[in-house]
Amino acid sequence: MSSAAASSDEAPALAVEELVAGYGGVIALDRVSISAGTAAITAVLGANGAGKTTLLRAISGMIRPRRGRILLDGTDLAGRNPEQMVRAGIAHVPEGQAVIPELTVEENLRVGMMSWPRRRVWGGAKPPHAGGVSGGDRGFVPPGTSRADRGAALDEALERFPPLAARRRKLAAALSGGERQMLVIARALLARPRVLLLDEPSLGLAPRVMAQVMDLVVRLSRENGITIILVEQNARGALAIADHGVVLNLGRVVAAADAATLAADVALRHHYLGF
Amino acid sequence: MSMQTLPRRLGAAVVTAVIVWFLSVRLSTFRDFQIAEVAVEVTAVAGLTVLTGLSGQISLGNGAFMAIGGYTTALLMLHLNWPYVAALVASAVVTAVAGGIVGVAAARLRGPYLAGATLMLGVALPALAAAYQGFLGGDQGLNVVFTAPAFLGATFPLTRWQAWVSTVVALVTLVLLANLCYSRIGRNWRAVRDDEVAAALDGVNVAVTRVLAFVVSAICAGLAGSLLAIVTSLVAPGAFTVTLSIALLTAAVIGGLGSLPGALWGSLLIVIVPTYVTDVATSHGLSSSVGSNIPIAAYGAVLILVMLAFPQGIQGGLHRLLTLFTGPDPGTRVPRDAPAPHVTPPADEAPASHHEKEGTL
Amino acid sequence: MVEFLQFTLSGVSFGMIYAAVALSLVLIWRGTRLLNYAQGGMAMITTYIAIEVIYHTGSYWAGFAVALVAGILLGAVCQLTIIRPTMNKPPLNGVIVTIGLLVLLEGLAGIFFGGQFRSFPTAFSVTGLRVGGTPLGVSRYDIFVAVAVLAATLALALAFRYTSAGLRMRAAAFNATIARLSGIRVARVLTVGWALAGLLGALAGVLVSPSTFLYPNSMDTIFVYGFTAAVIGGLDSPAGAVTGGLLLGLALSYAGGYLPSGASLVPVVALGILVLVLMARPDGLFSATKVRRV
Repeated sequence: MSSAAASSDEAPALAVEELVAGYGGVIALDRVSISAGTAAITAVLGANGAGKTTLLRAISGMIRPRRGRILLDGTDLAGRNPEQMVRAGIAHVPEGQAVIPELTVEENLRVGMMSWPRRRVWGGAKPPHAGGVSGGDRGFVPPGTSRADRGAALDEALERFPPLAARRRKLAAALSGGERQMLVIARALLARPRVLLLDEPSLGLAPRVMAQVMDLVVRLSRENGITIILVEQNARGALAIADHGVVLNLGRVVAAADAATLAADVALRHHYLGF
Repeated sequence: MSMQTLPRRLGAAVVTAVIVWFLSVRLSTFRDFQIAEVAVEVTAVAGLTVLTGLSGQISLGNGAFMAIGGYTTALLMLHLNWPYVAALVASAVVTAVAGGIVGVAAARLRGPYLAGATLMLGVALPALAAAYQGFLGGDQGLNVVFTAPAFLGATFPLTRWQAWVSTVVALVTLVLLANLCYSRIGRNWRAVRDDEVAAALDGVNVAVTRVLAFVVSAICAGLAGSLLAIVTSLVAPGAFTVTLSIALLTAAVIGGLGSLPGALWGSLLIVIVPTYVTDVATSHGLSSSVGSNIPIAAYGAVLILVMLAFPQGIQGGLHRLLTLFTGPDPGTRVPRDAPAPHVTPPADEAPASHHEKEGTL
Repeated sequence: MVEFLQFTLSGVSFGMIYAAVALSLVLIWRGTRLLNYAQGGMAMITTYIAIEVIYHTGSYWAGFAVALVAGILLGAVCQLTIIRPTMNKPPLNGVIVTIGLLVLLEGLAGIFFGGQFRSFPTAFSVTGLRVGGTPLGVSRYDIFVAVAVLAATLALALAFRYTSAGLRMRAAAFNATIARLSGIRVARVLTVGWALAGLLGALAGVLVSPSTFLYPNSMDTIFVYGFTAAVIGGLDSPAGAVTGGLLLGLALSYAGGYLPSGASLVPVVALGILVLVLMARPDGLFSATKVRRV
């Protein structure tokens, strides 16, 4: 049994319990448990093939876990598919700056709002969706959103990311790597998530751009109160901004502590993290 | 037990030949005709299943190659009095050349584009035959005279001889194809199908490999067409319509794409099912318009149901049944990083490039 | 000269039909990477339904409307029942299933409607129009055909570009994974795609049947040429579908008109055009050059 406990006292925003998942005949996650406090940044680290990406895929519903629970604010979401997960409040940004190159920047962003409930034409507004999206200033999506609401959210996103605003009507194919990463994060933010899963956001980016992305991640947790699960090959950079860290190896948790403790553990770093 | 060595294959062929001989002697002439039909289809479907399953190139026009083989045989026997064996070989040569031409023209085509081009080929070639009255016999076609050899006696039923000849040709074709599939050529086909760029980097000549696959499948179809000429004693455009081409592909997929035994299952299905359902319909005495269409509707329903029930084809389904009893083959573990999600495959992990999804055709 | 005009206008008229079929194939291809071989068969069934409605109500437009609705329903039902199970299986399975569907539909048509050729009415006159004394070679009906297909194409294009539903469909077609992660119910989108394709097919069937008569196999050739048009244009491009359709319609019309024994050589000419186009552009005329990944 492998587990990692949050050091915070309040109930965790996201808790994964004894998760087992795999592909075909191979188990890629072997009873993994992690927990992440509200607005905390939790780094998930480890070598290639350790199961980091599989963990995010299992949480977001891209693969169906075989056993275990995924608790968002206490509600078990395991077994739901991605469309349901994002409506419940878990957004996943897969690795590789996966914009949709054939759509414009604005269209890519609009795709991010596709999980918003629509205002019913008759019969009043739809009730807020179940599973963890509560109210408050963390960017609650009101029931029955209108086109105006979506327009406002779009404008707000473009304001926050000026390079995207400048290329609003251009095809996403024309963006640089850093701009694409910005676009995919902005798109995920528009889903107004409670939890954001980021898979190697700095992969393939120039060092300066990498630093900007990391900055952005920090701001998202501090300013927007989003709980962030950050998978990174670049363990040093990740631990520098994270609150807690979890180290995976061959599908199991081998270490879990707050980031400073992990960064100070030289033996651990050499053995699993490569620095 | 896989057909991985020549002696095994020859053994299986001999056993099959004996079974067919036995059946042909015991069953009626109509059944002999069906045996011959199945043998014809197997010959063509085997070539197609190799082309599409092993080398990854779809063809909706192999009926055209059958037509070329059939007409070549008919013309040689009719105008030059060639004996059948010579005509058979000549048909193979002519269709090989045709297959080479088509293969070269199609070398750069993939997926649905290849499907479209070969479909049009399957439509256009019979139209050519229909357009030229004089030489090619137009819509009525050409008659083929074929008799059993004298040494079998005067009362030897022609259908049985036809069944024997077609079965022999079919079995020889299957054995040769099996040898090819396990040879370096077969490995090249699979390599090119799975990842062209990697194969090219490995030193495989992708274009030649692809063209070769077309040539081989064309030869098989040409032989089948030649057999059809002597089995039905006629070559006409109506025998080689695009429906035939599509039936060949259907047989290949339903049997199990890329599988030679699958070619047999598929051929049995496309020959037996329509006849069987027609029999059932007529024995119930249904009115002609309803009665003649029930088999058609039933055939379509069978195709759908079999495909849904056996996604890996009949051969694949049988294999799964077998492993239920004997346990899985070693070496079927899925590698750790193979994506096998319960939602649509996340084939889009790589940044920025527009992946062409080959998809279905 | 008059002959040329006649061939041109007839070519445009048929070209529009091919374009409609091509468009429905492109719709399904873009959304599901599946080629629907039953497209012609589905169109044939909805046209039979239309003719029965027309027969019993005496109104062409009632039949027309019912055909379109039937097309939507038939497309959705087919996708929900038999196509969905093939989605994560080997690609050619879907092909065989649609072939099976085609055969099934043709058999059902024979059973319920009979195999005889039936003539299909038109809402507009088919007598050729004249300017001054010269015949134009086109009738009111031909104009109606062109307008109907163009209107449908335009409506679809606008819907795809400017509506939220259209964006959903495009996103799901370009990258189903991202779409799902963003909350798009891709399964529903696919059904809508098939419904729209069914609508276009139904339109094509109703428009072309006056010229070809209606019988269980009547849409087979139209399907083949529609498929060819889609391939010529590039299967990912709606504009390509329309262009391919027009090109093919015109070329085949001229070939049929001017070549000796032209009528039987039409398929050969089609093959020739296809080969020429594909040798120059293996992915169709409107294809974007693909990035070769190494």
